[in-house]
Amino acid sequence: MLTFLKKDLLLFWRDRKEVSIVIILPLILVVILSFSMSGLFNNGLGENDDLSLGLVIEDNQDEAMAEFESTVKQSPSIPEEEKRALLSHVQEASPVAMLTDFLKSPDLESWMTVQTMSRSAAEESIDNGDLNAMLVIPENYTAQLLKNIYLDDGTEPSLSFVAKETAVEVDMIHDVIQGFLDTMNLQYALFASGSEMDFAQVKLPEGGMETIEDKQSFTFTLDQYFAFSMGALFVLFMASTVASRTVVEKREHTFHRIAITNTPALHFLFGKTFATFILACLQILLIFIGSHVILGVFEDRSLTFWGGLFFVAAIYSFAMAGLSAIMTSITLRLKNPEAVDGIFLIIIMVFGMIGGNFVPIYVLPNWLQQIGEWTPNGLTLAVLMEWFQFEDISLLWMPASVLLVITLIAITISIILYPKRGETS
Amino acid sequence: MIETVRLSKAFKEKVVVEDVNLYLDQGESVGLLGPNGAGKSTTISMISSLLKPTSGDVKLDGQSVIRDPSKIRKVLGVVPQEIALYQELSAYENLKFFGRIYRVPKDQLESRIQETLQMVGLQDRQKDPIKTFSGGMKRRINIATALLHSPKILILDEPTVGIDPQSRNYILEMVRQLNVQKGTTVLYTSHYMEEVEQLCHRVYIMDHGRVIASGSQSELLSILSNEDTIKVQVNQLTDAFITAIRNIDVVRRVEETGDGIKIIVQKSRNIISDLVKLAEQENIQILNFQMENPSLEDVFLHLTGRTLRN
Ligand SMILES: Nc1ncnc2c1ncn2[C@@H]1O[C@H](COP(=O)(O)OP(=O)(O)OP(=O)(O)O)[C@@H](O)[C@H]1O
Ligand SMILES: [Mg+2]
Repeated sequence: MLTFLKKDLLLFWRDRKEVSIVIILPLILVVILSFSMSGLFNNGLGENDDLSLGLVIEDNQDEAMAEFESTVKQSPSIPEEEKRALLSHVQEASPVAMLTDFLKSPDLESWMTVQTMSRSAAEESIDNGDLNAMLVIPENYTAQLLKNIYLDDGTEPSLSFVAKETAVEVDMIHDVIQGFLDTMNLQYALFASGSEMDFAQVKLPEGGMETIEDKQSFTFTLDQYFAFSMGALFVLFMASTVASRTVVEKREHTFHRIAITNTPALHFLFGKTFATFILACLQILLIFIGSHVILGVFEDRSLTFWGGLFFVAAIYSFAMAGLSAIMTSITLRLKNPEAVDGIFLIIIMVFGMIGGNFVPIYVLPNWLQQIGEWTPNGLTLAVLMEWFQFEDISLLWMPASVLLVITLIAITISIILYPKRGETS
Repeated sequence: MIETVRLSKAFKEKVVVEDVNLYLDQGESVGLLGPNGAGKSTTISMISSLLKPTSGDVKLDGQSVIRDPSKIRKVLGVVPQEIALYQELSAYENLKFFGRIYRVPKDQLESRIQETLQMVGLQDRQKDPIKTFSGGMKRRINIATALLHSPKILILDEPTVGIDPQSRNYILEMVRQLNVQKGTTVLYTSHYMEEVEQLCHRVYIMDHGRVIASGSQSELLSILSNEDTIKVQVNQLTDAFITAIRNIDVVRRVEETGDGIKIIVQKSRNIISDLVKLAEQENIQILNFQMENPSLEDVFLHLTGRTLRN
């Protein structure tokens, strides 16, 4: 099989003038597209597609504070000294005020708009898509929270977070709020349990925001989109380029010559499959590294990020190798192999279209985006986009497994389709 | 050592090879002749295990090899009718690739490559890509590739088609040497009768998918023992003249050649005087007469009503 692999790679090397076009073209496209389109789409998800959150406050903070104050003052079990400290702390950092301040802080403002509105207005806006999500602070939230934390009384109240569909944006908002709440709860709990706390720290829960920023991290722009989509798309082309070489081998009868030797017939197929894998890897890495060097699309990213990028590239290349194997078997079966190039082109176009490699996928309606993820290239594109933004390793396993399963299925199909003796025409 | 038994092949409904019985004894050199579309290449494809026959059998040393062709693949070298080489790769790279595919042991491969290159006289061009070779040189590498694994049986499907006389002689001489010196069994397909006459002990003639005659050259020639071939060179030809000759009762066949006609007549009667008379009537000048011994080409013409090349 290595013999076949060597042969296929050698043939590509001989043809390097044409092949280098296939390899370099996508890089050129990335550069051209990102220069010409950046004006059109106003560069980036962060500024363009601002996330929007509706804030519904049904809680009556002042009333709750007053009530809490009198409860504390009347409590016989708390020493006077502590009563004062507790009340001033609560005054300074009432939970709802802290949350709203946080949501409207300049750090978040750059990518999220928060509007305070009534519940019915928020619900309507979510329905018609004007809002990504809404956060409801329910009645008696402050009262219950204070009671729960400081007086160990009653249950912990919860906020309700409402979104119409799960999307990356919604997850982001949710994560941000959750992160803040966790920090805030921790601070309150620490205070209530009587540990020595620095009030300044409680006043400004910076720690919470920092954690949150780490999670949200990188702004995805058109530059990255083009690098990812062209990478995914042109590797599709690579799969078909390798497979369509079989046409020449059939036409020039070298395939027949191979078929009358004792070398197992499938080695021919596996040689092609591996050649595709190697060339696909090379191509996609070249696109990523090239766009980084030229456009700086992955500026300031960690080694982990690059590792994930290469991992996804490798798994995707496997899937493409599987696709190429199917195409090879089909080519060998077709009576008129010259038609093959056209057929493959159509398949690639359809895949590329559905997979969102032609239009920035995040401007498409949600249902279209989801269909796109049913194609290996669309799935890869989506994973890369998420990986770029969150760099969360747990995001990789599912899609990677799906791609590997696709690879296995594809290779199985290609073996079944591979012509037995006398079935080639 | 190799034989086919009622070998047949049909593509869909079209029968292309029908009940072909051939055999090759060890060390023999056998010719396979037939016009275009006779089914020669298809027969060879079935022998070489590329195609499965519709019916019939191929046997190697008495054992059928249809189900398990690995034995015949080991001992058989096939030179396909087409140049089956990677045009972008050099001669050396082609030989190396196919040598590996033919499972030539690694430690022998290099020396086998050089030996075969020497045999076809292209050692000095081994680094060049095939696409830069002339037709004759491509043919020679095409043959060299089939020799890498030192096959006991060599099948050549029109190995000299469309090449210069020099390359052709080279190839013929090479095949003869393989047959005579190395004892390689040879099945040789060609449109060129004289090649087969030169090279082969026995001949099969195929037409329309069937073997219509077989035997040694003298056996085949005896088919024509009661016919004469006359070649007539003339300054011009008219249809009336040809028709008139056809109408002579003992004339079997009349054929135009480049500068005259070829007439096959029953032995026993001299028609020269008739010819001279007819020529005078048509104002045709006869430049030259020639009586020929019948060749295999004439046998072929006799059997099929066609020339080998058209
Ligand atoms: N795969 C195929 N499908 C259908 N018909 C075929 C196929 N291969 C060959 N034929 C037909 O079979 C017949 C015999 O072809 P074959 O190539 O065996 O002839 P041949 O004797 O080798 O001719 P030539 O001297 O031109 O090489 C031809 O009529 C050809 O059209
Ligand atoms: Mg032929």
